[in-house]
Amino acid sequence: MKGLGAIFRRELAGLFLAPLAWILLFLVLLYQAYFFLLVLAAKGGEVNGSLVFILGGGLPFWLLLLVLPALLTMRMISEESRSGLLEFLLTSPVSDAAVVVGKALAVTTFFALAWASAFLFALLVQALGASVDWGLVLTAWIGATLASAFYSALGLVSSALFSTPLLAAFMTILANIALYALPMLARAWRGPTGELLGRVLERVDVLAHYQGSFVSGALDTAHVAFFLAWTAAALFLATRAVESRRWLG
Amino acid sequence: MISVQHLTRRFGPHVAVDDVSFRLERGEVVGFLGPNGAGKTTTMRVLTGFLPPSAGTVSVDGFDVLRESLEVRARIGYLPESVPLYREHRVQEMLWFQGRLRGLSRSESRRRAGVVLERVGMAERARSLIGRLSKGQRQRVGLAVALLPEPDVLVLDEPTSGLDPLQRLEVRRLIRELARERNVLLSSHILPEIEAVCPRVIILHRGRIAADGTQAELVGQLGESFVRLELAAGASTGVGAELCALPGVRAADARGRAGDFEAFEIRGEGELCEPIGRLCQARGWIVRELSLQRPTLESIFARIALELEPHGRSEGAA
Repeated sequence: MKGLGAIFRRELAGLFLAPLAWILLFLVLLYQAYFFLLVLAAKGGEVNGSLVFILGGGLPFWLLLLVLPALLTMRMISEESRSGLLEFLLTSPVSDAAVVVGKALAVTTFFALAWASAFLFALLVQALGASVDWGLVLTAWIGATLASAFYSALGLVSSALFSTPLLAAFMTILANIALYALPMLARAWRGPTGELLGRVLERVDVLAHYQGSFVSGALDTAHVAFFLAWTAAALFLATRAVESRRWLG
Repeated sequence: MISVQHLTRRFGPHVAVDDVSFRLERGEVVGFLGPNGAGKTTTMRVLTGFLPPSAGTVSVDGFDVLRESLEVRARIGYLPESVPLYREHRVQEMLWFQGRLRGLSRSESRRRAGVVLERVGMAERARSLIGRLSKGQRQRVGLAVALLPEPDVLVLDEPTSGLDPLQRLEVRRLIRELARERNVLLSSHILPEIEAVCPRVIILHRGRIAADGTQAELVGQLGESFVRLELAAGASTGVGAELCALPGVRAADARGRAGDFEAFEIRGEGELCEPIGRLCQARGWIVRELSLQRPTLESIFARIALELEPHGRSEGAA
């Protein structure tokens, strides 16, 4: 995709030139460290389990994913549309998809960095004499980054659909909550259509797919494909939404 | 170079551009003139590939804006009215980004960034944050961004809006310079600007082309010159009738009194000043002014705006 690299680099620079990204990065580091130590103490010093806990094994991680991608992506299209920067990008000789994918890659890179804090904790505890299962931590980190890519893509869809950043963030968070809650509800509900509904929701059950693979140290292609496919679908939707802005003017 | 045929663009029920057709040959400089909301920006947005047309075809250098959008966009440098720039970046970073978007190598981007900044007179602000620049400086940086790819066609939407008179003069001088080498399509609702820069003028009104031609053509076709005459009041009654009786005179309208003088506007065919002068001499009228008033683009524009405007005179040339 022509221009993808240029847009990716510009968006990444844009993220880190604003204070929001640095503040969030700092808060994530504190948050992750807090839960790492909490779980480490609760599990009686079980290092690997604690590392996986903060990379998707536990609910605090998913709470972060509920909010952070929405905050980082909310301005990327809605605000640029207002300031005219989207007009600049969309009249450059690059495809709409390159614009959307470049932005998604930039946010995903931010999350890859944020989740890499777990490596820092791993190095620390290793220096203190614990044995770290690096394969397990790496797998969980890849999974965490893949899941972040998906939620960032969802955030971009919302930012492309709604006219103000705040509304976009709000709708992203609502969508994320639905994604968490629906499969849980379906599991709890045993109605006549429960069978079929359950099977449909299984297809979009992010948590189950995640916890079925990445936290156990197995880099299962089926689950990797699950996240990549849904991310691609969301990016496709976001591209279409950007395109529709051209038609609406 | 640019061919627009039966271009129509609707926004829901609202028709912003209505069946507009024109052609631009290579090297032509054209000014879009029209009141706000006449369809200037929409036409430009279709041309630059931002908005798809609702009907009609637009091609640039033989490439269709809808089917070969990327080819068209690669040939156009566009400065939107909002002058979009990343405020958190430095001037040179913005230009390098534009270079990379256009697929230029790193060294080429840097070389051209230096050249265009020199050209718009912003070389010494290359390392300034865009957010700290004044409106006029941002406008010039925007122009540099549009120029960086060395495009065949430069599309400038209200390039001097919001500038002070000095900055306006400067930007105009710059555009005149640029126009020597490439096609420039410029929009404005400010008349002197178009008069100063563009040999050819397209007047848009309510989404349609109201007039299209060189300034001289428009003035010749649509404008009408008249003779202005001011006489000492009360010199004689029936001045109007006597003026009308002169050969070639079609109408002589009294324009009211100003102090001790009475003004007339005389329209008709052929050379009128001379017979009017002789008449005044013969009657012994005291003349304060006898002059030929040539039509201006402004009077034509005002007439078009008013004629096509069924109700309001005030909102015509806002």
